[in-house]
Amino acid sequence: MRKAFVVVSTLLLVAFVLQFVFAAVGAFTKPAGEGTYVLHSVTGTVVIPVLTLLTVLFAALAKAPGRLIGLAFLPLGLVVLQALIAMLANASTDAAGVSTPFGLAIAGLHALNGIIAVHVVVAVLQAARKLAHPAPAGVTEVTVPQRGLA
Amino acid sequence: MNTGSLLAADLVIAVLAAAGWLGGGAASAARRRPLALGLAGLALLATLARAITITALARAGWWFAAEKVVIAAPLSLAGVVVAGTRLLRVPGDIRSVAVPMLFAGYAGSGALLVTLLHGYPASAGVGLLAVAGIVAATAVSWRILSPRPSRTLSRAATVVAVAALVAGTGLLVPGATPAAPHDHRYQDASTVGEPTRRFTLTAGTATVRVSGRDVAAWAFNGQVPGPELTATVGDVLAVTLRNRDIARGVTLHWHGYDVPNSQDGVPGVTQAAVLPGQEFVYRFRAGQAGTYWYHTHAVSDVGVRKGLYGALVVRPAPVTGVDVTVPVHTLAGEPLPAPRVEPVEAGEPVRLRLINTDSTTHRYALAGTPFRVAAIDGYELRGPTPLVDTAVLIPAGGRYDLVFTAPATPVALFVDGRAVYSTGPMSAATDGWPVLDPLGYGVGSPAPWSRFDRKFTLVLDRGLDLRGLLPRYAHTVNGATDPDIPPHAVRLGDIVRFTIVNRSMVVHPWHLHGHHVLVLSHNRQPATGSPLWLDSFDVRPGDVWEVAFRADNPGMWANHCHNLAHTGMTLHLMYS
Repeated sequence: MRKAFVVVSTLLLVAFVLQFVFAAVGAFTKPAGEGTYVLHSVTGTVVIPVLTLLTVLFAALAKAPGRLIGLAFLPLGLVVLQALIAMLANASTDAAGVSTPFGLAIAGLHALNGIIAVHVVVAVLQAARKLAHPAPAGVTEVTVPQRGLA
Repeated sequence: MNTGSLLAADLVIAVLAAAGWLGGGAASAARRRPLALGLAGLALLATLARAITITALARAGWWFAAEKVVIAAPLSLAGVVVAGTRLLRVPGDIRSVAVPMLFAGYAGSGALLVTLLHGYPASAGVGLLAVAGIVAATAVSWRILSPRPSRTLSRAATVVAVAALVAGTGLLVPGATPAAPHDHRYQDASTVGEPTRRFTLTAGTATVRVSGRDVAAWAFNGQVPGPELTATVGDVLAVTLRNRDIARGVTLHWHGYDVPNSQDGVPGVTQAAVLPGQEFVYRFRAGQAGTYWYHTHAVSDVGVRKGLYGALVVRPAPVTGVDVTVPVHTLAGEPLPAPRVEPVEAGEPVRLRLINTDSTTHRYALAGTPFRVAAIDGYELRGPTPLVDTAVLIPAGGRYDLVFTAPATPVALFVDGRAVYSTGPMSAATDGWPVLDPLGYGVGSPAPWSRFDRKFTLVLDRGLDLRGLLPRYAHTVNGATDPDIPPHAVRLGDIVRFTIVNRSMVVHPWHLHGHHVLVLSHNRQPATGSPLWLDSFDVRPGDVWEVAFRADNPGMWANHCHNLAHTGMTLHLMYS
């Protein structure tokens, strides 16, 4: 189960990396249209939430500490927030449908939240690997201290 | 603050409340006391603020607040009570308030998901599913966080969660879906007399040149827009539609022209799509003057965008003065039409027929002359007054006719800041101009009806659509998407009132086929200006429109959002 936890959280990280790739694909597709961000939105609304839930499930099955399960759950909340930010940014236009500075400021949060989410996933993956391969006694392990849920 | 902003603000506050509780729970689980208490304070504040936004939304209209009052409020209240009572007696070990705070967070998140994924109307089934999720998440957290959860409590939680899950699912499983109103016994063309105007439109793939670039398009007669069809009132039109190679089929819909049902061009409803090699002849009498347009209604999302559209202009008499049609479109990212400069002699009467064939609103500004809005959606306005330095917003599918007498100096029409038509070199900053509110423009007249035989409400929203292979976050009408939206049945002669409400954060340009609707009010402000008979109007986030019409054109009519990408937002008006 611990191996499965590592595999699923690796897949989640891969999905996040692809998500950034799809965002770039959307941004550079010409001409921009309704379908420009279809890969990005399908990954964000379906693939990532499903993989996150699987990560939480395998974290629990692998008997990970509560703190880690909580951390594994966090990306789901951040992804819902991510969709909300996108919705608000798209809605913040003037009457003729032109972006406003306020809307673009909100859109900027979409990128920041994405960076935060990917860091959380990296932390989950590191913790999962540590759980799968506990450091043998006598060897001092040097790792970056984790900040956890705060 | 308008209702649209209020909806957005309420959502943000709901997120803050849920995040505050969840973060507080996590912080207390990690024994970070000040952080936990700070986040709990934030969550309490946000919950309090939400009481205000929900009340304001309920005052704006029950549709905006229904699920927030019925589902979110009790859940948030339960969260505040459970977490609050524990926080009032803060124990030595902050960790013991972790589960109550997480519960409040799950309750807030569950309520938020109900608003986002389900919306209107609030239903017991969805509420129960939310409860199941909240109880399950709380029970799991409890097991993880407390060393020895009480057995009785665990069992009770399991029972409650499972019962709520089963009951909720049971209530949500759809009953018999209403019969899809797709009648395949299409009516025959009505007899309208011998045609006096004949046209042939051949749809096919084509390469057209836009802004110096070759673009792959779908075109009528090889051109985008298709040929402008003109007629004089009293003419009988016969338009032969041929499909050369549009594999997904084409039709012709006469946008805003209230033709007999059999000529309306809606595939699967009034006719079968015209496939490659086939043809269909549309015949109708031009009884109403004005500016209209035609477009394919088969895979209209793609077809119109790629160029299958054109203008239809019916004049009361032969042209006098300068009469210019300006169909605005975005083809492969390039704006159409190309700018046109044409000197006009001073004193000449000019009529600009502005058409928005895109799926989103455009802003039109006429600089250099006072002008009047003579007609909207083909119908002449009563007593339009001269306007100066005023912009007009035309919704997707809508038309405005602007008239003026040419001055000696140049005049220019700007669409979203781009000069599209001018009588000479001219530049003007039109960005800051006020926008005309047509509801107060022109001379009013009493409403022709005082009571309504049928009243329908359409609540536009977004929600999870699980019918397909992949779940879709669809645009919905009354909580459903095409073909599951029940049709509205009317009888010939009924006076029908529609109330159209937008709970979503997206503009929905509404378009009823076969009828023009009279605007009664917009956001509770009664229409005081010239009677507005519209076929396309923007229902913005938070908007409430009341419109009415006489059911005088029998058949099965599409009633849909004209942002053609919102394909699920189609229902039907059905004569019984």
